[in-house]
Amino acid sequence: MAARVVTLKVPETTWAESIYLVEIVKGLARTLGHFLKNLTNMKGLPTIQYPEMLRKYSGRFRGRHILKKREDDTLKCVACYMCETACPAECIHIEAGEHPVLAYEKYPTVFEIDLLRCVYCGYCVDACPKDAIWMTRDYELSFFDRKSAVLGIPELTEKPSDTSQGGPGYGYRPYEGESPMKKAGQFEPSGLPLLPALLERGVAINRMPPPPPKPPAPSASPAAKG
Amino acid sequence: MSATMAPPKGLEFLPVLEKNLGGRVTAREGLAADVPTLVTDAASLHETARFLRDDPAAAYDLFLDLASADLSRLPGAQAPKTGERFQANYILYSTKRNAHLRLKVNLPEKEPSVPTLTDVWPAANWFEREAWDLMGIDFKGHPNQKRLLTHGGFVGHALRKDYDAKQRWLCTEEDLLQTELAAQTDEPSDMFETTTLNFGPSQPATHGTLRIVMRLDGETIVAAESECGYLHRCFEKMSEAHTYSQVFPYTDRLNYCSPMLNNNGYARAIESLLGVTPPPRALAVRTILGEFSRVMDHLVCLAANLVDIGGLTNFWYAYQPREEIYSLLEACSGARLTVSYGRIGGLAKDVPGNFVPWCREIIKGTRERISDVETLVTRNKIVWNRFRGTGVVTKEQALAWGFTGPCLRASGVPFDLRKDQPYEWYGEVDFDVPVMTEGDNYARYLVRVEEMKQSLRIIEQILDKLPGGPVRSDDYRVILPPKEMVYNEMEALIYHFKLVFEGVKVPPGEIYSATEGANGELGFSVISDGSGFPYRLKVRPPCFPLFAAFEKIIKGGMVSDAVATLGLLNIIAGELDR
Repeated sequence: MAARVVTLKVPETTWAESIYLVEIVKGLARTLGHFLKNLTNMKGLPTIQYPEMLRKYSGRFRGRHILKKREDDTLKCVACYMCETACPAECIHIEAGEHPVLAYEKYPTVFEIDLLRCVYCGYCVDACPKDAIWMTRDYELSFFDRKSAVLGIPELTEKPSDTSQGGPGYGYRPYEGESPMKKAGQFEPSGLPLLPALLERGVAINRMPPPPPKPPAPSASPAAKG
Repeated sequence: MSATMAPPKGLEFLPVLEKNLGGRVTAREGLAADVPTLVTDAASLHETARFLRDDPAAAYDLFLDLASADLSRLPGAQAPKTGERFQANYILYSTKRNAHLRLKVNLPEKEPSVPTLTDVWPAANWFEREAWDLMGIDFKGHPNQKRLLTHGGFVGHALRKDYDAKQRWLCTEEDLLQTELAAQTDEPSDMFETTTLNFGPSQPATHGTLRIVMRLDGETIVAAESECGYLHRCFEKMSEAHTYSQVFPYTDRLNYCSPMLNNNGYARAIESLLGVTPPPRALAVRTILGEFSRVMDHLVCLAANLVDIGGLTNFWYAYQPREEIYSLLEACSGARLTVSYGRIGGLAKDVPGNFVPWCREIIKGTRERISDVETLVTRNKIVWNRFRGTGVVTKEQALAWGFTGPCLRASGVPFDLRKDQPYEWYGEVDFDVPVMTEGDNYARYLVRVEEMKQSLRIIEQILDKLPGGPVRSDDYRVILPPKEMVYNEMEALIYHFKLVFEGVKVPPGEIYSATEGANGELGFSVISDGSGFPYRLKVRPPCFPLFAAFEKIIKGGMVSDAVATLGLLNIIAGELDR
């Protein structure tokens, strides 16, 4: 078990190589092989037709942040400034207020994330002691002005659309992809089953709008759209 | 050190050196994980350097780095002596003895000045310019001492501790650093008219923000000067204002073609300083993802370079495995490029459950694509005509210019830190270090292709014996405790709070720690003052000496060959300019 030094030699030029033609035919055969393979198996193409199709990301993807809520619809955040301190880009701004519910003590009156500063490192999620900030798989973050890139509490609070069908879904969060620990401090290698099919990771989500409904369909329920 | 005492290990030449210089050189005790240190003064630096290079028992033939430091804010025992303030740390390496050395010179507060070492190791040229630019150390006799990473309108020396980082300096057109050869207008009488060509910084073939000014006689380059600094992001100054763990996202952006290797190198430096060893599974995963990153880096280098010389098809073949590796990195870390996956004492998270079969699938696909590229390129006569005999760097030149990595190995020096000073899992696996003696572009191409294959071999071997267990250390003074403990236990919550608010408390000390990056030796010189913030962090970017030598390599060649050479040296602006 060791590393060995191997001296490579420049290959000798053969007559066939020196006349270009043979090597060119060999190269063309290789590219033609790829062409035929792709032609007969269009679905297996590695190209993703963005923006019609969207790449499927893992549940650890670090995209736009969300603030989690308790069961009673209040924010889990207790304005402890941990994420603000842990942030290497200094993009989080918090102002604390006293919560009317005594048990919650503190809550953020202002919680802003400047997405133009954010480097999406996930340190805020790691730092949160209350499981209050998660990330989503939403990465299409473009803005027309700087002001709209600063998200406040209303924009950051988790919405049903974040996890609904066709939404981005949860991204980087505590324990994503790891089995829950039996006992605190005791680690286990992740025992997750294989993804339904390894192939699936390459399959893109088709998000072309569905064909418009036929004109005489006034009775279609408006709630069908998620 | 008295003559009766045995010299420290690795410094057997010390008694001779002491005799020659009359006690002006002393060895200094340091951390066991650190490289041996010699302390000398500015007056005898030049003589010491010559001895260290020429004496067969020392034979430090490779100049690796110059890490300057401003010690004025160091507390307690570390504080400099009265009147002293600056420090120049020369990092040297001996390819014959496989040993590193730090040569330390303490410098006064007023007019810090040392003689230049460019005549001993030509590689010192740009490193000294950088130290002058950012720390204000004057190098007497330097052939071209001007600013390197900052622009001509910049006032002050940014890495000094009393420099106010909020200042802004406007760069006007007059302040643009004019290269000497662009300013020189008179032609030698026996020469035809020459042209000055400004190549970059936004030329697509420079793959980044590099600038080269060439003086052309027709198509032939008579003189050239390269310039960097267009992507300078104050990495080292920023690190001083961030905790040790907050530096990880910054290291992602050093060599952005292989971010995981930077994470590994930085984590290793801080872990050695702390004396913490991550669990074996974490080291195995670091090695696997690091090797995948190396494959990615070489693929990008070759693909982009082949596009430059007109072979577009290879680009599609070589970029496909890169996409797959990015997907794997994303599933592990949560981001495709800016991984931030390393942590001091382990990794951010364990790898996903399908990691091993996924890796094997990628290895299979990567081998196919490498074979595609090889079929199209390796024995293609057009490529041979472009690559063979162009951009030649001899063994002696490569050592003198401070080359490391694939470019040094293509010139015939079998120096690879993975082989010579194994770390992580490299001691446990079987692999070849490809070496060629030609030193031309074709040699660099072949070495890179072979290295990719060897990287895949390394990954396969580690996958076979990937250990289970945790990926994070259980020393909660350096790594955040698991969330469940934080939610439920007071003690863990206290550790958590202390780590986030104060950072990892690294004991006072100094270290130079190097790993094999994709382009060569990636070194981190760290000085700790015992707080949660690095006191000084200096990166040894592998590209830096490569680009410094570029102007000499292309001299006498064609412009189109210069593009091919630039691509195969693989200059990454992110780590070049930091």
